[in-house]
Amino acid sequence: MPPSESNPLEHSGSLLESHKAYDPRVIFFYFALAILLLILAGGLAYQQLFKTETYHERERVQSQRRVLVPGPRGNIYARDGTTILVGNRPRFSVALYLDELKSEFLREARIIKKNYGKSDMPEAALREMPFSRMSRVSVVQRYLDEVNKIIGRSEKVDAASLARHFGDQLLLPYKLIDDLTGPEYARLIEGLPVRSPLQVYTSSTRFYPFGSSAAHALGFVRVNEELNVEDFPGEDLATFKMKGTIGKDGLEKTFDSQLQGEAGGTIFRVDPAGYKVNPPLEKRLPLQGKNLVSSLDINLQLAAEQTIGDQVGAAVAIDVATGEVLTLVSKPDYNLTDFSPRVSHATYTAIQAQGGEFNRALSGLYPPGSTYKILTSIAALRRGAITPDASIIDCDGFLQKFNRRFVCYNGLGHHHDVLLRQAIAESCDLYFNEAGWLTKPEGLAEEARRFHFDRRTGIELPGETRGMLVPDNAWKERTKNEKWFPGDTANMSMGQGFVLVTPLQMACFTASVARGEVFTQPTLIHQPNRPRQKTESIGLSREQRAALIEGMEACTLPPKGTARNITTIEIQRVPGVRIAGKTGTAQVSTKAGMINIAWFICFAPVENPEIAIAVALEGDTPGEEFGGGRNAGPVASAILKKYFEKKNGAAASPFQPAKGK
Amino acid sequence: MPFRRFATHHPFATLGFVVVAWLFVPVGLKSFTRASFFELTAPVTVAADYARGLQEYWSLRLHSNHELIVAGRDLARINASYEFAVQQNAELQAGLERLESLLRLPTYNNYRLEHARVARRDFSGWWQRIVLRKGKNFGLTSGSPVVFSGGVVGRVTEVYATTAVVELISSPNVRLAGIVEGANHVMSYQGGINPTFGPPMGIVELVPLDTFASASSPKRLVTSGFGGVFPPGLTIGSVTKVELSTDGLFKTGEVKLDERLGSLTEVTVLVPLTPE
Repeated sequence: MPPSESNPLEHSGSLLESHKAYDPRVIFFYFALAILLLILAGGLAYQQLFKTETYHERERVQSQRRVLVPGPRGNIYARDGTTILVGNRPRFSVALYLDELKSEFLREARIIKKNYGKSDMPEAALREMPFSRMSRVSVVQRYLDEVNKIIGRSEKVDAASLARHFGDQLLLPYKLIDDLTGPEYARLIEGLPVRSPLQVYTSSTRFYPFGSSAAHALGFVRVNEELNVEDFPGEDLATFKMKGTIGKDGLEKTFDSQLQGEAGGTIFRVDPAGYKVNPPLEKRLPLQGKNLVSSLDINLQLAAEQTIGDQVGAAVAIDVATGEVLTLVSKPDYNLTDFSPRVSHATYTAIQAQGGEFNRALSGLYPPGSTYKILTSIAALRRGAITPDASIIDCDGFLQKFNRRFVCYNGLGHHHDVLLRQAIAESCDLYFNEAGWLTKPEGLAEEARRFHFDRRTGIELPGETRGMLVPDNAWKERTKNEKWFPGDTANMSMGQGFVLVTPLQMACFTASVARGEVFTQPTLIHQPNRPRQKTESIGLSREQRAALIEGMEACTLPPKGTARNITTIEIQRVPGVRIAGKTGTAQVSTKAGMINIAWFICFAPVENPEIAIAVALEGDTPGEEFGGGRNAGPVASAILKKYFEKKNGAAASPFQPAKGK
Repeated sequence: MPFRRFATHHPFATLGFVVVAWLFVPVGLKSFTRASFFELTAPVTVAADYARGLQEYWSLRLHSNHELIVAGRDLARINASYEFAVQQNAELQAGLERLESLLRLPTYNNYRLEHARVARRDFSGWWQRIVLRKGKNFGLTSGSPVVFSGGVVGRVTEVYATTAVVELISSPNVRLAGIVEGANHVMSYQGGINPTFGPPMGIVELVPLDTFASASSPKRLVTSGFGGVFPPGLTIGSVTKVELSTDGLFKTGEVKLDERLGSLTEVTVLVPLTPE
C-alpha cells in the first residue's frame, strides 16, 4: 500500500518519524563503512599481531628502570685474621630528586621574573645567573632549609655543583648533605615525609679503624664511575648506576680485583609518575669482595709509628722465616679517613706539601751508612780478604793512603788493632775501608748484587723504586765519565758515596743474614702455614758467620757497642732477648746542607732469629747529633719489645681504633 | 530540536563544565573546599560514632550481674599487674634520668597524654587511617605520635576542629626510626602495602648484617627515640624475616604488626609539651 493512502499524516513528512526498510543509496555507505571497518580491523590486527613485540618492547623500556649497585669491597685484616684494618661502613646522605621538581622550578622562575621587573637589579647579575638557574637554587635551598630545621644545621646550596648535576645527572638524586651522623639520620627518618623528593640515601664507604696507621701499605680507593654487571638483563633500560670504588694505592690497588665486590642489580617496574612498584622484576644481590689477611701486626705497627712520631723516615719489620712484613711504616703519612669517601683538595695539597704521599719504606733511597759494613764484611770474608781473628789495620783515627787522609769517625784513636767483631760492634771506618780495598770494588759490587741490592724486592705494593744503586767501575765510567778511585771504594765499603738502598731492602738483607742466606722475598700477605724461605746460602764458614753475628750482638751491648742504648737504657731494653744489630749514620746533601740519615738494622733473638728490622730516619738540621744508635735504635727497640711481649703472652697494651664516623 | 537534544544531555554537559571549572580553581581554594567538606561531614562521623557507642552501651547492659562481677575481678587483677609494672617503670625511669644527668645527655621530649576514641576506621589498600573524636578542641597537633596498649598506632596527620586523622603504622606513608630491643643500631621502619583485611605488616630496612630473625624466633622492634617524634621503647612490631638487602651493606626485613590495630577503639595521643 502506498504511504499516501494508508497514512495521510506522512505527507506532512516533517512531524513523524518514518522508516524505509531498503534504500539503494545507503548501500554505498554500507560499502564505505565496511571498507573503513576492514581498514580498522586490519590496522588493529597489524598492530596487535605483527607489531606486538615492538610495542611490548617499547612499553618495557618505558616502564622499567634498572639500578646497578656495586658490591662492597672485601675487608683487609691484620695477620691475626680478626682485627679489621680496612672495612666498610654505611654512609648516610640526604638527597633531593630534582626530576620531580619541574613544576616547582617553573613556578619559582615566574615569581623571580616578576619580582625582577620591579627591582633595580643590574642586568649583568642576570647574565651571571639566569632566572631558571636562580629558581633551581631557590627551590633546592627551600628543601635544604627543611632538612636544616630537622637536624639543626645551616647548610647552603652550592649553586655551581647544582648546575653541574642538573646538566649531567638530572635523573640521579642530588646529594644535599653528605655523611650524616647517626642521630641526624634518625631524625630525618621520622622528620621527612615519606612521599617527598627529599630522601635519606645510603651508600658504602671505606672505614679505617686505625686512621693513618699503615696508610702506605693499605692504600686508599677513589670513586669509580664504571660499573658493570655481567649477564644481567636490561642493558637497554634506563640505568641508574651507584658509584663504586677502585684501589689507587697500597694493597687496595694491588689486590683490587680480589677486593672488588661483585655488582648487583635490580629491575623495577615504575608507575607513570616514576615511582617504583614492588616487588622488583629482577634482582641480583651484590656480593662483597674477598677479604684479604695482611701480614701486618697492628700492635707492632702502632708501636713503631708512635715511637717515630713526627720524625721523617721509615721502619720495616720482617718475619725472618717467611718474609712476611710485620710492620711497614713511612713517615710522614696521611690519615686514610680523609680519603673516605674522597679527599678534599686542601687536604691533598697539605699531604703533598709535607711529603706524606711518598712511601719512604720502598721508594726512599738513602745511602745505607755503616749498616752496609755487614755486606762489606761478608764480601771480604768470602774472598779471604779478612779473617775473623786477624787484624788488618791499627786504627788510630786517621789513615794517610792513596795521597788522601781517611778518618775513622767512630773510633777517633781508640780502636787500635781491631778485629772483625770489634770493628762491627764499634763501627770502625778504617777497618772497613781497608777491607773494601782488599776486597776490591768489583768484589763489593758483586756481593751487593748477590744480596739483590741492585733490584726491586718485588713486594706486592705499587711504586717500589727502581733507583737503587750498586755502583762499580763500569757504572761510574758510563754515567759520570770518570775513573773509579780508591776513595770511592772506601766510601762504598761503609755505605756512603754512590750506594743507594731502600729501608725495605735493608730489612730483607737483615732477614737474609739472620737466616744465613742471600735473599728474602718480602710479602704483605699472611698465610698461616707459609713455608720457611730457602735461597742461596750466605757462603760463610761457621766461624766466619759466628764472628759476624757476635760483632752484631756486641754492637747492642756495653761497653762500646754503638747501639748499646737499647740494652742499657731501661725504657729501651727488651728483657731476656739477645739482639744482633748494626747502626749507621749516613750523610746526604740537601738544600739546607748536609743532614744525617740515622740507620739501625737488627734481628732477634740471636740464637734463633724470628724478626728482622730496618729503621731509617732523616735528620732535619745540618750538623745536629743525629745517629743510628741514638735515634733509629729506639724505634727498633719499641718494635722488638712489643713483639716479644705478645710472643711471651704478656698483656699487649690494648690498641685504640680511631672512632669511625 | 537542538535545544531538546541539549536538554537530553544537560546533566553530562553540566558535569563536564564542573570538571573543567574545577581544573582552573586555584589550589588554595581546592584545599579549603576539601577541608571545609571534612569539617562539614565531621559531625556526621562523630554522631555515627556516638550512636555506635550507645548501641554498644545498651548491648553491654544486657550482660548479667555475674558476668560483670567476673569482668570486674579480671580487671582488678590486670590493674594489679599494671600497677606493679608502673612501679617498676618509675624505678627504671629514675635510673635513666640519673644516667642521663651523669652523661649530660639531652632529655627526651615530654608529652601530655590525650586519650581519644576512634570514630572511624579506613583500612583500604590506600588509606590505613583512623579518625579520632578529638581535634583542635583538645589541643591535638599534627605530627603527634599516637599509641595504644600494644605500642605505636601511628601519627596524627590532619587536625580539624573536633576530629583528627591518624595515619597508622601499617600505612606506607609512615616511617620511623626503630631499634631491635636491646640493640642500639637505628633502623628505618616503614608501613607496607597491606591488603584491606590482611594482617598488618611493615618493612624494616638498614638492619645490621649480624641481626637474625625468623617467624619462629622473632625480634621485637621498638622505637629508638632518636627520631625526635616517638619516645623510645614503644613496640612497633616483631621482625619475623630478614634477608640481605640489594646494597649488600644491610638486611631488610618484614615486621608483623599488632593485629589489634584493625579494631582500635581507644588510643592515646602524645601531645608534645614543647612543640617545634
